[in-house]
Amino acid sequence: MVRLLVSRGQESSNLLQKEYMCFTNNGVLSLGLPPAWVDVSEDIAANVERARVKMAELAKAYAKALMPSFGDGKEVQRLIEGLSLEITDLIRRSEKKLMRLSAAGPSEDSNVRKNVQRSLATDLQTLSMELRKKQSTYLKRLRQQKECQDGVDLEMNLGGSRSQMEDDDFGGMGFSEHQMARLKKSEALSAEREREIQQVVKTSYQFHFSTKSHALSFMNSYFLSFLQVAQSVNELAQIMKDLSVLVIDQGTIVDRIDYNIQNVATTVDNGLKQLQKAERTQKKGGMVMCATVLVIMCFIMLVLLVIKEILL
Amino acid sequence: MVLVSAARDYINRMLQDISGMKVLVLDSQTVSVVSVAYTQSELLKKEVFLVELIDSISKSKESMSHLKAIYFLRPTSENIQYVRRQLASPRFGEYHLFFSNILKDTQIHILADSDEQEVVQQVQEFYADFIAVDPFHFTLNIPSNHMYMLPAVVDPPQLQQFCDCAVDGISAVFLALKRRPVVRYQRTSDIAKRIAHEVSKLMYQQESGLFDFRRTEVSPLLLIVDRRDDPVTPLLNQWTYQAMVHELMGIQDNKADLRSFGKIPKDQQEIVLSSEQDAFFKANMHENFGDIGINIKRMVDEFQQLARSNQNIQTIEDMAKFVDNYPEYRKMHGNVSKHVTLVTEMSRIVEERKLMMVSETEQELACNGGQVAAFEAVTNLLNNENVSDMDRLRLVMLYALRYEKESPVQLMQLFNKLAAQSPKYKPGLVQFLLKQAGVDKRTGDLFGNRDLLNIARNMARGLKGVENVYTQHQPLLFQTMESIIKGRLRDVDYPSVGNHFQQGRPQEVIIFIVGGTTYEESRSVALQNATNAGIRFILGGSVILNSRRFLKDLEEAQRIARTSSSVV
Repeated sequence: MVRLLVSRGQESSNLLQKEYMCFTNNGVLSLGLPPAWVDVSEDIAANVERARVKMAELAKAYAKALMPSFGDGKEVQRLIEGLSLEITDLIRRSEKKLMRLSAAGPSEDSNVRKNVQRSLATDLQTLSMELRKKQSTYLKRLRQQKECQDGVDLEMNLGGSRSQMEDDDFGGMGFSEHQMARLKKSEALSAEREREIQQVVKTSYQFHFSTKSHALSFMNSYFLSFLQVAQSVNELAQIMKDLSVLVIDQGTIVDRIDYNIQNVATTVDNGLKQLQKAERTQKKGGMVMCATVLVIMCFIMLVLLVIKEILL
Repeated sequence: MVLVSAARDYINRMLQDISGMKVLVLDSQTVSVVSVAYTQSELLKKEVFLVELIDSISKSKESMSHLKAIYFLRPTSENIQYVRRQLASPRFGEYHLFFSNILKDTQIHILADSDEQEVVQQVQEFYADFIAVDPFHFTLNIPSNHMYMLPAVVDPPQLQQFCDCAVDGISAVFLALKRRPVVRYQRTSDIAKRIAHEVSKLMYQQESGLFDFRRTEVSPLLLIVDRRDDPVTPLLNQWTYQAMVHELMGIQDNKADLRSFGKIPKDQQEIVLSSEQDAFFKANMHENFGDIGINIKRMVDEFQQLARSNQNIQTIEDMAKFVDNYPEYRKMHGNVSKHVTLVTEMSRIVEERKLMMVSETEQELACNGGQVAAFEAVTNLLNNENVSDMDRLRLVMLYALRYEKESPVQLMQLFNKLAAQSPKYKPGLVQFLLKQAGVDKRTGDLFGNRDLLNIARNMARGLKGVENVYTQHQPLLFQTMESIIKGRLRDVDYPSVGNHFQQGRPQEVIIFIVGGTTYEESRSVALQNATNAGIRFILGGSVILNSRRFLKDLEEAQRIARTSSSVV
């Protein structure tokens, strides 16, 4: 149960509210401009929203592409390609911007920034995961369809190049945390490979085109889409890795509200302590220096005095 | 009527209607309330980007008018003063004030007076003034818990504070559940009587309009009992997961602190043990230590399988699948290492303090007769070098509670031995316990040896044999619940306040233990709720006790009682 006592902007016959309103005097509310990073965060949020809309479109396009049709399906293919590129691009751009949000120092503002960053990172992560899930299911369905409809002579060509790519680029590649690093290294390699494969595909595409076989071009478009999905999986994996540093794991101590408050308090405390220490050492250093100089001067003067006494 | 969801619901309603970036300001009590019910990532989802304590937020002067402030505070005069100062020179764009309990009219006037710039958008009461650690278990975390043991003549102002806290908490629970209960209390306890009368006065006279809910057929029952009626339960070693962690390490607001144990990796130094967020813990919190070992083994096996399947990735599909599962994998990794750390650390402590041996004797003392054997066992353990001082003290206390009247001579022998063996032992502590919670003070039949029926039942159980020697003890609360279910709670022992009587069997029962609950009792309540669909029990207390806390309270109370009696 809840009891509402006072609320502005709402007509109420509540006695307490009337009393409350009587007590408050009219004053002018001064509103300051929010800091610049708020714009950045809004930008990212808008990007995420846009990517969500695109994602819905992509899902529709996938469904359409999976529908059996006797056209070459190139238009749908192009649409899918364009959409996934756009989404990946949006995610990548947002991620870059996100890195700009981070701030140093234990002040409240930087805390807010850190939290904003975290929440946006979580959004981005779920988004990219969603995209990946969609892509992989699409890929799986595509495979299934292909296996059903495969032409015999075609299998040689395409199957060969496909398995080559798998074996060379990703075969035997464990994807545990330390092997993530290997992914990066092999990325350059795989990009090169992909180019090669694309060339192979192009030539074979031309060949198929000349035979004007519907089935062949159908297969080809599948292969192209496969390649393109593979590429974006790669990209997303990278983004995911960067984001996972920011995202809070649920059920851990980091996810506790009081832990976060304590942490802030201790960092602030530590900062203060450091400052005090610095001040102390600084003060001490100055004093000691001053005293030493004075003592040395005293000695010099004394010596001078003695010399003067002796000589004169 | 589950407490955790009630608290979550309140927080949701606080946050959902206010759009834009928000800062949540809490006080030291509401931090716990919010922390057990909500998580940081959920807050971030609701666009709460800063959580601060009220005293630290008022230190800074930096203006943040792009943020909207949500205050969730207890209505104490201290907090009101903080808010007043803040409103005089506002740092945030808007202020939404929520209070966790009934606000006094004068306090509202103070707030209105200070809101000169009209930044306050709303003031509401959201009655989440309790810490819902589990669905059927709440605590109030009252700081000076030892107060309940002092007689009313000794220290009135602080005792009054303790009572007020308890009354506030109890009334908040009922406001959150939208119920007005029939109040009953344990007759022999002054403090239970006092709290019961104050609660009843608040609900039926002072704020009767607020508590006037739609009538249910049978009003729920609020039973207020005293910890001293069952001093045995907090003195026993525990062997079920949640209770054991609390006994050996200590749980505060569903969070175990392992920093004092050394050699713990940095990310495991504080551990969250919430039945809401951790499925493994939810399934195993009431299991005994042996079963936990087996279940953890199973979890580790599962995890290994998952890790292995992640190791061999052949195709790009495997890779995509792995990346999909990666967050799940990480979560499981964290969870596995958390529970493994806990259990390893606990078995180390068990081994070090010889708790198996100690606990067997404790359970013998608590559950079975046989004075001669018990005396011998306690003497042996007192002589054992490996048994810690605290365990010795507890054994003597248990023996004293059990054989208070039967064997005063042997009891004296044990006192002397204890004083000789344990240098830190404060003389008279056991006697103080007997004075507080001796057989003359208790209402319930703690050891089941008062009437013939209970003795017979006890003997029958002894013949049947018990499944597990270490967990055979049933808290007194179990008997109380049984007699409530059967409608046999005696009016002589547990009278009602005023002329509000129970008609028929209550559907909902809230048992409040003045002086603190234990996780063993919480387990008992949870198991009861799982079996019997007819009556639902909720357990609450001023704190959650383990034996260390119970002994500390006892010492503190003894100290105060002694100094005040010497003054008098």
